[in-house]
Amino acid sequence: MSAIVTIADVSHRFGSLWAVRDVSFSVERGELLGLIGPNGAGKSTLFNLIAGALIPTQGEIVFDGQNVSHWRSHHIARVGIARTFQIPKPYRQLSVVENVMLTAFQRERSISRARSLAIETLADVGLKDYVDVPVTALTVGLLKRLEVARALAMRPKLVLFDEIMAGLTPTEVATMTKFVGGLPARGITVIWVEHVLYAIMKTASRIMVLNRGELIANGEPAEVARDPAVVKAYLGEDMNLA
Amino acid sequence: MSGGVTHQLSGRRALQFFPRRGTPFSVLEFLLLIVCISLAGVGLPQNLQDVAVLTFLWAGLALAWNIAGGYAGLISFGHAAFFGIGAYTSTILFVRAGITPWIGIWCGAVLTGAFGALLALICARLRGPFLILSTLAAAEVVRIGALNWASLTGGPEGLSIPPVPGVANMVFASKATYVVIMLLFLLGVYAITKFLEGSRYGYYLFSVRDDADAASAAGVNPLAVRTAAMALSAGLTGIGGSLFAQYFLYLDPTFVISPEISFQFALLAAVGGLGTAIGPVLGSFLITPMSELLRSYLGSQAAGLHLVIYSALLIVVMLYFPGGIAGALARLAGRRNKP
Amino acid sequence: MSTFGQLVLSGIFIGSIYALMSMGLTLIFGVLRIVNFAHGEFLMLGMYGAWAITRLFGLNPYVAAIAVVPAMFLFGAIVHQLVVRPGLDKPHLVVVFATMGLSIFMQNVALMIMTADLWDVAPIFSRSVTIGPFYFKAELLLGFVVTIVCTFFLRWLIRTTYLGKAIRATVQDGEAAMLMGIPVPRIFLITFAGGSALVGLAACIMMPLFSVFPTVGLNFVLIAFVIVVLGGMGSIEGALLGGICIGVVQSLSSYYVAPAYGQMFYFILFLLVMIFRPNGLLGQKGAATIGIND
Repeated sequence: MSAIVTIADVSHRFGSLWAVRDVSFSVERGELLGLIGPNGAGKSTLFNLIAGALIPTQGEIVFDGQNVSHWRSHHIARVGIARTFQIPKPYRQLSVVENVMLTAFQRERSISRARSLAIETLADVGLKDYVDVPVTALTVGLLKRLEVARALAMRPKLVLFDEIMAGLTPTEVATMTKFVGGLPARGITVIWVEHVLYAIMKTASRIMVLNRGELIANGEPAEVARDPAVVKAYLGEDMNLA
Repeated sequence: MSGGVTHQLSGRRALQFFPRRGTPFSVLEFLLLIVCISLAGVGLPQNLQDVAVLTFLWAGLALAWNIAGGYAGLISFGHAAFFGIGAYTSTILFVRAGITPWIGIWCGAVLTGAFGALLALICARLRGPFLILSTLAAAEVVRIGALNWASLTGGPEGLSIPPVPGVANMVFASKATYVVIMLLFLLGVYAITKFLEGSRYGYYLFSVRDDADAASAAGVNPLAVRTAAMALSAGLTGIGGSLFAQYFLYLDPTFVISPEISFQFALLAAVGGLGTAIGPVLGSFLITPMSELLRSYLGSQAAGLHLVIYSALLIVVMLYFPGGIAGALARLAGRRNKP
Repeated sequence: MSTFGQLVLSGIFIGSIYALMSMGLTLIFGVLRIVNFAHGEFLMLGMYGAWAITRLFGLNPYVAAIAVVPAMFLFGAIVHQLVVRPGLDKPHLVVVFATMGLSIFMQNVALMIMTADLWDVAPIFSRSVTIGPFYFKAELLLGFVVTIVCTFFLRWLIRTTYLGKAIRATVQDGEAAMLMGIPVPRIFLITFAGGSALVGLAACIMMPLFSVFPTVGLNFVLIAFVIVVLGGMGSIEGALLGGICIGVVQSLSSYYVAPAYGQMFYFILFLLVMIFRPNGLLGQKGAATIGIND
């Protein structure tokens, strides 16, 4: 069984609202899985559940053979799951490289080696010129790239990308898409939530669609795009896409 | 297209004027060190020796507070409890059990460290003014307890250390010796602070301070980091309290465990520059002598005038220089270093 | 048994007066999201004002409220513009220190002008009021009545008037409120000044019951903090409930345990609330764990 993570019947409730309902799927090692769905579908909640920021009301999450359902986020990070935040959360009083060094410390204990690893990762995402810049000087687009760098600096086994394309120019989107597409080859499994659909439909090997907390489609991008349930979820009842 | 000031954290061998996080030494620190050592060595007149003792002590205490408040982001207005617990522990051990303060101080440090950890755990989920008020309340509980547990602490009458000079008693006839002791305390806490801010643990502290959720996602355990920071900060404050007891030779809960003292620690650190090593030192070096001198020259003329001036200054500094003295100096230094 | 009843009832009455004193603080926190550490000194100022008017014009503190309350409103407005507003867009610690500095400033100006002596006003009512087997000072009962009236008035204000709705909108989402055309900076000003006026009213009620001296604020500000936290920051009804709890706890513990320990009890109560129900009895969920400027 080469599934790196398995989500089994996971449901999560906020008060009386079920944000995620009986969601089950598994992700193979080296897959690039896209997760799409209209706003409020529960994508971020699902991410928070996998990343340990929330503990599922019901269900099980198994990562690399371990049941991590009740683990908190720092434990989950330490076994190799990295995530980005939809609204970037940089460490405001630190510089760009220092922001990345925090995650790099998961791999390298010494300051100088962590710094080198951080600089390498920054170069990967095209932020090499910003190494010692205070993070407060960065624009939103650059902050999003910083989020990616922070996640990758820990050389994770699984990375959860949460809408990393929002706010990027078309050129930046193209570069980033190519970059993310290359991650599986480096041994990193990716689950990618995205609204910029053309990027994700092109790159992902499989797409899952979430609507109102439930998984309504799970298959190849082309199939999913034609699935009437998916079209209905995004566009409403009477739309007819040829 | 790089915005802002470029910080050179490594690779730049030339000595900087202003201390930067991660670099072990700067010109300013060197100059201050020289000044301190000369003050300690030279024979100052009595009243100035008093000021020197207090300036060094408060600088060390402000640095200790800064580890929790500035580095870990845990703004505590209850540190006077740690100050008092340290002071009372070493004093009670000395006065009632004959244990020399040289050992008693460390017992106090351990006990206060434990209290610090306990406080951090109690206040784990609190932020902002909730945290401030809780630490204040906790310190008040300790103060009232100390005030009423007369059999242990001597209650409102206080506790005295017999003024018998002797190295084993850690009581000294000459104030100059105290100046040296307090300076050593300051240097010790400063060294610990510098080491911390340049180490991996320092980064963990800053990350938890700036964004605990992101830190968590990076594998850092915010509760463990905050608890450790508070314990360290408390323990060092406790040591300062013991040293104070050995100097002042009299303890009384209302004075020693007061909100005013808690406030003082925070004030010195904030005015000097939170979250920097040199900040609390600068804060104490500026404010302690000024407040002592104001008190001696104005205190006799009009009760409270010195505090009126002092507090007005505080308001102005806080509103218009939120980065403190260190922040203002760093901006100046940054402008000079820009190519 | 009647001692117990007497203690509980007088605890309720004094607690309601403590609540009146705390309502300004909770409003200011709810709307501006800051803690005014000089709150106790505002109370002191109001008390000195009430005392001075009583002494100078031969009136009583309740009548003096006519002057003290508007004066405190004005004072609050000035403090807001000079001390609070410049700190609002800066790190939270700035306002904390600025208001603490203000607190020390006011205490010492009072010390210089009024000296450290305790000043009182003569009792207004010559007899106590009897209710069944219990008797109470009329001033205490009057304070209770004023607080209840005030609570209803504030509830009406917040729930029905436009100002009240604007305040609630600002509490829920300041940015959205601004986009809707609500003048948020002016709401902040009105709230801070209004909260100060409330403290002025409380001061007039309290002057017949307590002496005034420069550091009188310190005793009461800690009680006010405990009440505000207990009741839930931003909740007027919560402040009333919290105040009554504290009044009763203090009354009972002062009698059954030692008076000195009475203070300790409500701090421990405070810490327990912080640990188990940090949002207070009636507060907004999540307030304590979010803090303010996080």
